Amino acid sequence: MITRRGILKSSMGVAVGTVYHGTLISFLTGCGSDNSSPEVIEVMAGGLMVVNPVMCVSCRRCEIACSWNHEGDCSPTLARVKVERNMNFGPHGVQFDYQTQHGECGDGTVVPATCRQCEVCTQVCPQQAISTNPLTGAKIIDEERCVGCGYCADKCPQQVIKVVRSKMKAVKCDLCNGNPACAQVCPTGAIKFYPWEEAEAALEQYEKYTGLVS
Amino acid sequence: MSNKIGGWAGKVLRVNLTTSSIVYEPIEQYYDYIGGMGIGYKILWDDHKDDIKATDAENIIVFSAGPLSGSGVICTGRTTITSRSPVIEKHLIADGHFGGHFSPAMKFAGFDAIAIEGKASRPVWLKIVDDKVTIEPADTLWGKGIFDTHAMIAQMMGPNAQVAAIGQAGENQVPLSVIMTQGGHSAGGHGSVMGSKNCKGIGIIGTGAVKIAASNEKMRALDDHILGIIGANNNGVVPSTPQSWAEYSAPISRWKSRPGLKWGAADQEIDLGEVPWNERNRIGFRTSMAESYIGVEYANKWMKRTGGCHSCPIRCFCELKVPELKSKYNRKSEHISNVCMGFLVPQYLMGTKNGTEAHAMAGVLGAQILDDYGIWCNYGLISHIFKFLKTNDMFKHLLPEDEYNSIPWALWDNQDPAFLIDFYRRIAFKEGEISHMADGLYDLIERWGLDGTNPALGYWDIHKESKTKVFNKKTNAAVHHASETAGQVGTLINVVFNRDAQCHSHINIVNSGLPHDMTAAIAERKWGEGAFDKVNWYTPINAAKVRFAKWSLVKNVLHDSLTLCNWMFPLLASPDKNRNYEGDSTIESQMFSLVTGIETSETELDFKAERVLHLHRALTILQMNESNMREEHDVLSDWVYDMDPDKNFGQEGTIKMDRADMQTSLDMFYEAFGWDIQTGAPTRATLDKFSLGFVADRLAARGLLPG
Repeated sequence: MITRRGILKSSMGVAVGTVYHGTLISFLTGCGSDNSSPEVIEVMAGGLMVVNPVMCVSCRRCEIACSWNHEGDCSPTLARVKVERNMNFGPHGVQFDYQTQHGECGDGTVVPATCRQCEVCTQVCPQQAISTNPLTGAKIIDEERCVGCGYCADKCPQQVIKVVRSKMKAVKCDLCNGNPACAQVCPTGAIKFYPWEEAEAALEQYEKYTGLVS
Repeated sequence: MSNKIGGWAGKVLRVNLTTSSIVYEPIEQYYDYIGGMGIGYKILWDDHKDDIKATDAENIIVFSAGPLSGSGVICTGRTTITSRSPVIEKHLIADGHFGGHFSPAMKFAGFDAIAIEGKASRPVWLKIVDDKVTIEPADTLWGKGIFDTHAMIAQMMGPNAQVAAIGQAGENQVPLSVIMTQGGHSAGGHGSVMGSKNCKGIGIIGTGAVKIAASNEKMRALDDHILGIIGANNNGVVPSTPQSWAEYSAPISRWKSRPGLKWGAADQEIDLGEVPWNERNRIGFRTSMAESYIGVEYANKWMKRTGGCHSCPIRCFCELKVPELKSKYNRKSEHISNVCMGFLVPQYLMGTKNGTEAHAMAGVLGAQILDDYGIWCNYGLISHIFKFLKTNDMFKHLLPEDEYNSIPWALWDNQDPAFLIDFYRRIAFKEGEISHMADGLYDLIERWGLDGTNPALGYWDIHKESKTKVFNKKTNAAVHHASETAGQVGTLINVVFNRDAQCHSHINIVNSGLPHDMTAAIAERKWGEGAFDKVNWYTPINAAKVRFAKWSLVKNVLHDSLTLCNWMFPLLASPDKNRNYEGDSTIESQMFSLVTGIETSETELDFKAERVLHLHRALTILQMNESNMREEHDVLSDWVYDMDPDKNFGQEGTIKMDRADMQTSLDMFYEAFGWDIQTGAPTRATLDKFSLGFVADRLAARGLLPG
């Protein structure tokens, strides 16, 4: 049995391409699953972007650089990293006790959302427009195939895929072909690229801030 | 350059709350005024009505952004709010500013500005979701503090709504009131204008984009160029303490990070350590300024992180966690986000000393109360005047006996910050005579006879008292980087606007922290020999100082029009030894050219900004119905000349100015701007030069044009 926490620890030092049975998706996506689920996961090259909310200072330069890099303009909608949504009131929106919850209007902790390069979008896309970049491990969208149906956006566990109305195409994090712009411009190093073998600790830290503050 | 025009969103939203009319204007007609402040002044010029009050329905309030806001260019999260001000005699035009994320959201929704006029018949708020604009009932919001209002509007719209709102002070039309957006960003002086319109606030969700003409590569190259030049807040370019990487250091610099300075309230305590200038992924730690406000002990205990505005890597805000706010003072939150005057104003009022617990607590408690009620400080004047009157036992002559006895003076005497809870409540709800401290200062002076006419006060004259910091005798505006900042340079900057000068162009070089000789050399290369005097050791006026003052004002107006942070820009100095610590004053034009696609030089852009400044001057004259600015507007308080009686102007160790020298300074200053030397009013030739002939025509028709 491979535990949710153990899976990545046990993967350290394992070569790219190793095939696992278990819950890597559930761990990376935060989706519920049990450890006996039959998914077959292939650990790919690359890794993912993770934010440490302790360090995030809510400037949104990551959103900006992402948007510039991919679409040429500036917009939180176009950006693949999502700061604006959680910025003021935390991941669960406005609560009656907003003063004690996360967010700029709460305890000051900002919890941006990033793509975890899981398989959900690739699996739900009816156009088979989303595939894995073998060099970076990023799930990338083929805009020629994408019809903007929004299935991927709807099912994305992190809600970091958007359909851009102006072109009716879905957009998501592609790790900037291995050189993520968001991390380059972050003024505190809060958002970083983590190879899979280092991702567990980073995600564990991040996950501390995804729930409601009790 | 591509063919598309970027930057501007495309529309100005015009809302009339009396008629519920909602219309759009194309932005193109405002291109010559850049944006932001320029849009505000142009709208108020076009719709000018004589003799109206700021709180009359006919008055217009404009929330505006420039072409850079929302583009993601560094430090462009500013919003300019323009309207007549209830704080100034004759309710002259003034602008307030806040940062945060409001104007980027406005741009993403498709609007460069929102202009509100009229008065709703019942409390309302303005809801904007992209191009869907509706006037919503605000009955449930009315009476709420600003923090709850932000949350309630976001609950109705969605958590990503950016909200600008007033608190109880604005609702009650307290003249000294603010409009605030999330994160502690407030703009002073116009809260009551919104209150008078029964408008509680504006909520915006924008899902669109700000178009950018240049490529990502060019935008990133400019971003990288700026990161190599920009310093800490107010462009301090050296650390405040000696550090291994730095050739120089200076305590005045706001580059505070150093070993031993911590974000002690962060869930993982962070010791900031040295933050060398070229570590681009650590810039956000550089300006951890909490110790300046609450002392290093409490900074290390309460600082959670830095904060600030959209697209800014400098992060001048302090996000603090102070458990005592809840446990001891029964506040709803133990968190407070603010900067500078937010913390300092209640400390000035209490007269506490930095390094003490009372001082630290006064800062954080006062900031939280001020922000929730939405009270403005008039750049500290309310605190300085309160402290003087209290210290000199004058309140017993000014307040009814019952009221005087009801005020918990013992708390103030014991430096207990709980005094602020009582005091600010009286202000926000207009309780009693003392609440008039939040009137416009002209009104307060007249009401209490603070101009040497009240025998009970020993004929005390506020304009002769340096401690109360009233700098302009006619507008009663506060000292704001005035004669203490580069002598005549700061002084001239402080005579032009109708409220305190919010100009930091000069302080951003004066306080860079570089050795004086290096700063003076930069100033000399820019404006000529003698532009920058030694600190507190001034020489008579010269042409270089006048050029310095004019340049600073033009850049200030440029920034408030672009809209770019004037608390950081311009960047005349840099932390880069390889550049010989020189900055780059062309950055703004580079930003403008890349974002809009309209190739524009520094000189061309400054020319547009100067046009906006002339428009401001003309509008002031029109509103005053008076063209003699020299005698009726640009007049300094007596203490500016008469302080330090044992010293003469020009001696080492004093900032006192000289009356004759100041009149000469005004001569040269007016000439530099193309204003009539006798009156300081813009001439037709100058207005024509800046394509403001229609302004000259209107002034001429009113007999307000010189010559």
